[in-house]
Amino acid sequence: MPVRGHVGSDYERLRPEFRVIQNPWAPSERVMLVPSISPDVALIHAIAATEDGMLLLDHMEDDALLAQASRTVVASTERVVSSQELRRSGEGVILEGIHVTALVEAPGGALPTLVRGAYALDADRIREYIAAATDDATFKRYLDRHIYG
Amino acid sequence: MACVIAREVRDGETVAVGTLAAIPACGVLLAHFTHAPRATVIIINHPDYWPFRGGSKEFYDFAQRGKLDLFFLSGGQIDRHGNLNLITVGDHERPDVRFPGGAGAAMLYYLPHRVVVFRADHSPRIFVERVDTVTSPGSTPPDVVRPGGPWKTVTPLCVFRYDRGSAALVVESLHPGVSREELGRRTGFAPTYDGAAGVTPEPTDAELELLRTRVKDTVARIYPRFAMTAFAR
Repeated sequence: MPVRGHVGSDYERLRPEFRVIQNPWAPSERVMLVPSISPDVALIHAIAATEDGMLLLDHMEDDALLAQASRTVVASTERVVSSQELRRSGEGVILEGIHVTALVEAPGGALPTLVRGAYALDADRIREYIAAATDDATFKRYLDRHIYG
Repeated sequence: MACVIAREVRDGETVAVGTLAAIPACGVLLAHFTHAPRATVIIINHPDYWPFRGGSKEFYDFAQRGKLDLFFLSGGQIDRHGNLNLITVGDHERPDVRFPGGAGAAMLYYLPHRVVVFRADHSPRIFVERVDTVTSPGSTPPDVVRPGGPWKTVTPLCVFRYDRGSAALVVESLHPGVSREELGRRTGFAPTYDGAAGVTPEPTDAELELLRTRVKDTVARIYPRFAMTAFAR
């Protein structure tokens, strides 16, 4: 896809897959083309979802775009609701179930980050996670305590 | 710095502040609460200043269509020619320092009409003669689509103006108490001066009061630590 900007930066040298072409509609201009990113799997967490995979997502995040770019989409959700209830929600954006491969009900699934309207980001827990993640043994203790516990 | 940035915001314009940019957020809000009440203010991650529902794609598309008048960028290295480096210092394949990356900074240095570069510390390690990797060039050849570009660079010591003719940073004003000798010592290139280079105006009492109250409370929604520590009297 075309991207404005970038031409003339070191991205031309460092990223050979980025191509610079003449703009077909304005031949005096050069524009950059970058390949699309197509993840094999996306893991996203929804505020709410229906049994057939329709998701209510945070409108400030990129989850809906990520889901549409990926080959397989595994969604987790705070709660499973009826489609009427999902459509009545004022906050968030709805992603249709056609984009979703599998759905798991997982309350608290975004912790230690936030779900708007449900719970806030836990900064102390994130610091604990960063410290624990440097080493397999401490990370296992973190998982046992906060995920499996 | 926030007061200097506020003076760059014009009423009625569309002004956006990206991630990790607490000082520009303060400056833009200060302007919005005083002389620029009709500015459209966009602050990434701020629930009250995010007029999009389609994630960051919608914001980037908005910027690519040239709808931003003013935006803010920073750099791990910033050079005399306004080039920014947000990738690597040293050999790119075996870098001495690895920054998070340029993200949208190559596009967002081209499309907004005016870009203010900010940096909360000023040292020869940051302000260099030539950046090691150019994420975002200060200038580009005429056949590159570039309606906007660098405008000012604001640091704790001075304000540089970007001079399009010479494609270089030129000192517009030194902050109160900063000498040319000190700026030279703390900059990795020999600063050049505007003929009219003077002293940056001090913040007014009213500006400081507003920063310490309404602006602080508003940025605390997304920068709680900054709000707790940066407004000491």
